[in-house]
Amino acid sequence: MSGYIVKRLFTTLLTLLGVSIIVFLMVHLIPGDPVTYILGEFATEEAVNKLKSELGLDKNLLIQYFVFLLGVIQGDLGTSYITGLSVIEEIINRIPVTFQLAVFSLIIGSIVGILLGIIAAVKQNTIFDQLAMLISLVGISAPGFWIALFLIYLFSYLIPIFPISGYDGIYSLILPSITLGLGTSGNIARMTRSSMLEVIKQDYMRTAEAKGVNVFQLIFGHALQNALIPVITLIGIQFGNLLAGAVVTETVFALPGIGSLAIDAIATRDMPTVQGLVLFMAFMFIVVNLIVDIFYSVIDPRIKYE
Amino acid sequence: MGKMKPFKIWSMLLVLLLVISACSPSESSETETSDGQAEASEGGTIVVTSVREPDTVDVQRTTWVDDANNHLYEPLLRFDFDGNIVPALAESYEVSTDGLVVSFTLKEGATFHTGTPVTSDAVKISFERFIESSPTSYMIGPLKEIKVIDDRTFEFHFSEPFAPFLSNATVSYLAPLDPSVIGEYSEDLTDVASSAGILKVSEIKRGSSITYVPYENFNLGPAYSENKGAATFDEVVFRFISDDDTRLLEFKRGNSQIMMSVPPNYIKELEADPNVTLERTLANGHVYLGFNNQKPIFQDKNIRQAIALAVDRSTIVDFALEGSAQPIYGPLPPTIPGYSQIVEDEAAAKYARDLEEAKSLLAESGYSETNGDGFVVKDGKPLSIELWVTQEPTMQRIAQVLQNQLKEVGIEIRISVQEDATIRAQSPEGVHEMLLWTYGWYDADILNSMFGRGLSTRVHYQNDELISILEKARVVVDTDERMALYEEAQRIIVEEAPWVPLFVRENVLAHRDLEGLKIHPITGTIIWSDVKLKK
Repeated sequence: MSGYIVKRLFTTLLTLLGVSIIVFLMVHLIPGDPVTYILGEFATEEAVNKLKSELGLDKNLLIQYFVFLLGVIQGDLGTSYITGLSVIEEIINRIPVTFQLAVFSLIIGSIVGILLGIIAAVKQNTIFDQLAMLISLVGISAPGFWIALFLIYLFSYLIPIFPISGYDGIYSLILPSITLGLGTSGNIARMTRSSMLEVIKQDYMRTAEAKGVNVFQLIFGHALQNALIPVITLIGIQFGNLLAGAVVTETVFALPGIGSLAIDAIATRDMPTVQGLVLFMAFMFIVVNLIVDIFYSVIDPRIKYE
Repeated sequence: MGKMKPFKIWSMLLVLLLVISACSPSESSETETSDGQAEASEGGTIVVTSVREPDTVDVQRTTWVDDANNHLYEPLLRFDFDGNIVPALAESYEVSTDGLVVSFTLKEGATFHTGTPVTSDAVKISFERFIESSPTSYMIGPLKEIKVIDDRTFEFHFSEPFAPFLSNATVSYLAPLDPSVIGEYSEDLTDVASSAGILKVSEIKRGSSITYVPYENFNLGPAYSENKGAATFDEVVFRFISDDDTRLLEFKRGNSQIMMSVPPNYIKELEADPNVTLERTLANGHVYLGFNNQKPIFQDKNIRQAIALAVDRSTIVDFALEGSAQPIYGPLPPTIPGYSQIVEDEAAAKYARDLEEAKSLLAESGYSETNGDGFVVKDGKPLSIELWVTQEPTMQRIAQVLQNQLKEVGIEIRISVQEDATIRAQSPEGVHEMLLWTYGWYDADILNSMFGRGLSTRVHYQNDELISILEKARVVVDTDERMALYEEAQRIIVEEAPWVPLFVRENVLAHRDLEGLKIHPITGTIIWSDVKLKK
């Protein structure tokens, strides 16, 4: 197991190196220049050249990349061109909101999704199945901003139970989490349903049923545990996505997470922030996937990593 | 247990929601006097919702100032309501007859937020940092040195006269910063910025809000406010909400007292609300259709003028902006000193929509026939122009209106939506053909930035006669003479039509539960001195 983890960590480093090259090239090759943003509309050529030199943007791309990489190795993602703040500091300031939002959304999405999936599978081809799949379809297809505004209008404006926007503790994350959770639950419900349908048809299930095991134990004790493995993979991927920041949800609810930070950074061509954020997101995604893989062996002892 | 019918479940949910709703705090509570008017009170928190979070409150590190980072600064000079430059932190100022020396005397007793007195030395230290490292340091012009005469008197010595300096000195970029803070945190004053303005920073939550409290020793209130001292509310919180709908709901719910940047499509709804007051001010610039005058097609004046004649500004204002703008024909808006009503009237008469005249100008340039699509052609090629427009929905609507209007004279417009950053970076290189863009400033010298030698990065227009007038206007000390030069320059721009000025936006701000709130008609900023919360 430990050998497997070391191997995975090594491939993680290689992946991050690849990501760093791609993101560096992308932010430097797309049209747009942070200097024109920093100096404003009417800056003189002299001022533009001076700032380019100060930011190191006058050097060739290879040198710029190695300077960036050297910083990353030393744990320094650079300084934002726009705010003058350290990128790591910015990410550390913003990640708690995004992390909490991701966790709550995933909890809501998983509970709703797995329950809908179980109902749909157990009651296959009935009205309950169709209803559960309709709900999951709505969750997948309804735009996030629409769900967000609908929830805000209903539960913050007409019936003021929750704050409309902003972050002021966990309470203010309930509506955003439901918004994201609904979207997540749709995919989980569909995966749970198909996975459960496969398991339910297995011989050991028929045996258990014949032995008189009660329905509750049959579903949650025998079927679900085996059906969950692909669902956990999906949950892991969803968590990785959620950690990358839910841009629309964070924008509508005015939450200071890393999604809104990324959008601002891209718009202003704040290269260090964009690079730092993409690297961070890639890292989180890889780590979450690794944890999910390790978690498989806990759920299913037959899975062993050499 | 019997099955519960769906209707029963929904009914129970509805009742539950109504009960919770009844228990929730009411929308707003006002104490009314016998004549039905709510009383104003001292203290309280004012919440402002704004779209854009400033990158920093350190005004010497940014190129963006607005109400969210403006009011902690007190510039040396300010505009009065008529657009005249009057003293602010300075008690008086004087320009030497040769225009090379501008001397200031500071008001007595003025202090920075830390309590440090505002002295000539302090101003000098602050300006040195500005010149050394501010991205807007070019605003100070050809400054040679700052001479401190005594504690309250100092002189700016220029190597050549720089007329825009006085207008520039009204803007926060050139406001003095507290030297005691500079000494300690010279690189970054983000969290500790201190100046002499009416508000001082209390708390900054990156990505969320900035909280200010009134500066208790403030005594620099302008002539146009009743209260010359400190503001009387407890604090003002700027919350940054970029989503228009969310900002509107926060305001309508009464969670914020001021909503900045009301989008045009919400104006009617808010106007209908008796608890809401809308304040409209014209922007310090306009939105224009800019030609890339380097392109062969736009080196033909007939084509430029034909496009100007084909545009119907009132349709754009009425439909794309829901009336929240004023059509403009001349190069300067009424909010920039140098604006000339005579030039504006002449331009309006010259470019009033005239499709026949436009078509005849096109025909003069060889575009007399049309193809099967209704577009004019020359040598078999249709007159087809690409128009760059930003992702802002209003700008895209305007582009569509323009596309239809120009089609009426046989010009094809191909709309190309570009990122703001792309347009900023690529238009100086002259990649574009035409763009929908905007400018804004407080001085007519903006025309030099738009059309000056080597400076015309958006429309790439070079006209030696125009350049020499604009350069002269930068060094003329006498205001009347300077304004006459700008009038002359504007006439050339109107005749040559290197761009088509379209409209001046109205900055619309909505407020509720407040008394005494005024907006400066020239700068469009909030005047906090007399603002009180209604009880």
